[in-house]
Amino acid sequence: MAESLSKPSAPASPSAPGVHPRRFWSLSPRSDRQAGDAVVSNFLLHWFPAKVQKASLEWSYSFWLGTASAALLLLLILSGMPLLFLYVPSVERAYASVKDIEYVVAFGSWIRSVHRLSAHLMVAVVFLHMVRVFLTGAYKNGVGQGQRREINWLLGVVMLLATLFLSFTGYLLPWDQLAYWAVTVGTNIASSIPWVGPKIRELLLGGRTIEQPTLIRFYVLHCIALPGLLGVLFVYHMWRVRKDGGLARADREGHLEKKAEQSASKTKTYTLLGLARGTAPSIRATSVEQPESTVNAVPDLVRRAAIVVLGTLAFVGILAVLIRSPLEEPANALVTPNPAKAPWYFLWLQEIVTDTTLHIGSFTVNGAFLGGVLLPGALILVLTFWPWWDKSPAGSAGWWLPKSRRTQNAVFLAICLGILLLTVIGTFCRGPYWQFFWPWETWPEIPGRI
Amino acid sequence: MEKRTNSPFPHRDRPILALVGLLLVIGTALFAWSDRQHDWRYYQYQFRQLVAEKYGAEKASQVPAGIQQHWIADLGRADRCITCHQATAWKGFESAEEPWRTHPAVPLKNHPVEKFGCTSCHGGQGWAIDSDAAHGQVAHWEEPLLSASLGEAYSLAAKKSALVEMNCNHCHRYDRETPGMDEINLAKKLVAEKGCRACHVINGRGGTIGPDLTTVGDKAPEQYDYSRLSGQKTAFAWHVAHLKDPRALVEDTVMPNFHLTTREAQALAMLILSWRREELPAAYLAGAPRTDSRTVAEAEQERGLESGPGAWFVKTGCFVCHSIQALGVKSPAQIGPDLSTAVEDVQRRFGRTVDDFLREPTGTMSVVLSRQIILTPEQKAVAVEKLREAFREYQRQKQEGAAPANQGGAGH
Repeated sequence: MAESLSKPSAPASPSAPGVHPRRFWSLSPRSDRQAGDAVVSNFLLHWFPAKVQKASLEWSYSFWLGTASAALLLLLILSGMPLLFLYVPSVERAYASVKDIEYVVAFGSWIRSVHRLSAHLMVAVVFLHMVRVFLTGAYKNGVGQGQRREINWLLGVVMLLATLFLSFTGYLLPWDQLAYWAVTVGTNIASSIPWVGPKIRELLLGGRTIEQPTLIRFYVLHCIALPGLLGVLFVYHMWRVRKDGGLARADREGHLEKKAEQSASKTKTYTLLGLARGTAPSIRATSVEQPESTVNAVPDLVRRAAIVVLGTLAFVGILAVLIRSPLEEPANALVTPNPAKAPWYFLWLQEIVTDTTLHIGSFTVNGAFLGGVLLPGALILVLTFWPWWDKSPAGSAGWWLPKSRRTQNAVFLAICLGILLLTVIGTFCRGPYWQFFWPWETWPEIPGRI
Repeated sequence: MEKRTNSPFPHRDRPILALVGLLLVIGTALFAWSDRQHDWRYYQYQFRQLVAEKYGAEKASQVPAGIQQHWIADLGRADRCITCHQATAWKGFESAEEPWRTHPAVPLKNHPVEKFGCTSCHGGQGWAIDSDAAHGQVAHWEEPLLSASLGEAYSLAAKKSALVEMNCNHCHRYDRETPGMDEINLAKKLVAEKGCRACHVINGRGGTIGPDLTTVGDKAPEQYDYSRLSGQKTAFAWHVAHLKDPRALVEDTVMPNFHLTTREAQALAMLILSWRREELPAAYLAGAPRTDSRTVAEAEQERGLESGPGAWFVKTGCFVCHSIQALGVKSPAQIGPDLSTAVEDVQRRFGRTVDDFLREPTGTMSVVLSRQIILTPEQKAVAVEKLREAFREYQRQKQEGAAPANQGGAGH
């Protein structure tokens, strides 16, 4: 049978063995050889496992937040490319080049909005992805050999920080008042680190004021260094997902009441693109789940990934038509906007900094150290090592809010909600002089020149 | 074929994927459409119609299409106003409605648009191509179009379009009086009359009782105290109110109330806001000296040279190299021989008369007289006459036995 099937492609078969007869892979292979070639030459099939747990694919389990953040990263790279050609990283010209992008470049305003919205969304989605992984304990290992899912959690924490820093460095580039003062606030918080703070600020700014050296540093970090770092980490993150088995959660077979029937051989033969023969490629199983709890990666995983990636593209694309990116007055070191706010994802820190800055008589307790250094430093430290400190049973992984992890989930949720609350207050409820305004209250009128 | 795993996903996911595809198509259409939504397309279409009506279809086809701009590299301005205001350089649309109206010729004559652009005088946001943004009536743009309607909003006592004079004064700041800038001229007169400099530094000069006003136009609007000001909260409105009654806005001020009329207060507020640290190329600054400074004595001497007996040699340019001591002309360079004795000297050196030498000069003078000082035969005749006069004067002075008249300066 295999021979008769491979006959049609016989004339095209190469003289040298091992050379793929077809340049492009087919979704409907006509022989085992073609099916095997498809796996080798198609990156998606190479990347994805052959079989995926149904539970891992469920919308309501992972919300596909990791895929969505990867899609946003893709969008950021795609929309960043044209901006690289158009933006001029110079103090004299940056603002004007952004104005040109806004007004006269074909689709420029839309491209910039896509870039900006994707960046803001990515910060939010990466954070939510982390929250999901924590609450479902997905960093906990299953039964497969060589699983090191906690490494991927660690990578994820670094990638979250890289995402924040990428967004922060991009904030300065338009060189408007918003950019200038957000970076002023951000770097002033950094300078409150004892002893080395001012040095770190100087290193970031390339001087003591935000000037051309700052702009070029942030530009290179934003366009080369940090995307490069994030790209490498992303590749490793994905590789680890495959190595560790299971996608959004570890293989759980080991914790089922009734063990799945194991075949005598440790290798399994899976159908690839619907074809499986005695001579078909044998794949070493990375999933030890019961057959009925899994589905084929092609087409079920591919289709869902397509939905999430294309859906993110469509969502951001339409949103970018509706929400245009603001560009304030050109950066002016002599005029401080009131209030001067950090980027929204740092506003919870700014809120803590201002709330803990106390004036007692002539003494000032500087809150920047507590809010800007101690607290976020402690949080990052705890996040980093939590998989090793989390002693809950392995069976609690892969479910939302299991009873055995109730306390740690509650504390984690409380911290997240606290951060969210402070962010909302900082974003919507803080007006001139950092006074509290309800969102429906109008701020004092901002005077104009003429 | 083997049966695939029984998957519940396809019949749930396929419609969702189709919906995502539909959204992508809608999104693409939406952003393509939104990029084309600009008023200038309508204005350009209308202008072509107007030109076709007036000058025929062939002229109309020459009207440029698409975004147009004046790029003024010296000022760093890209003014895209002409994308809609296409008629500015055309004749025959003087009474048309905006944005299809011809620009008045008078200011453009001395301020060519290729050198000044539009926004350096009119204000507004040159980068923008939509009317609200271009006229500066949007958030985060502090330089609105200084139009008559803005003047209307302030109920200007003078001509409603006078606000534009503020921008004129960026370049004309050091003028005492500038034609066409009635309000600023009035304000400058008031500054001199009321003695503002008694307390304030203005253009780098004045007293120190009040704040330095040299660049007060750059003070951010947020930095004024509006708590006692009713009505519009702008720096301009603040200054008008403050000039009319300083104590009403700043309780403990020592600035006297000058009992200015509304027009005077508004004119002064315009002048004050025009005092900014504009970074203008020197060539744009009217009234700024374009030459080395001179001492009073040097100026006096130069005036004397120009009106004394040797005036002809000064005006013609001979004195650049030659002194004419007998006539009191002293050359700053003294490269050539004194011309007082040229009649004699030329004969001695070249064996030719002065007439002959000037007709066909040799050496350095052949270069000078063919390139730098070009004289007609009539002018050469005058030159010979002047040289003879100088020689007669030299001989007269010599006969008198007096010291040569080079020490007493010119004209004695």
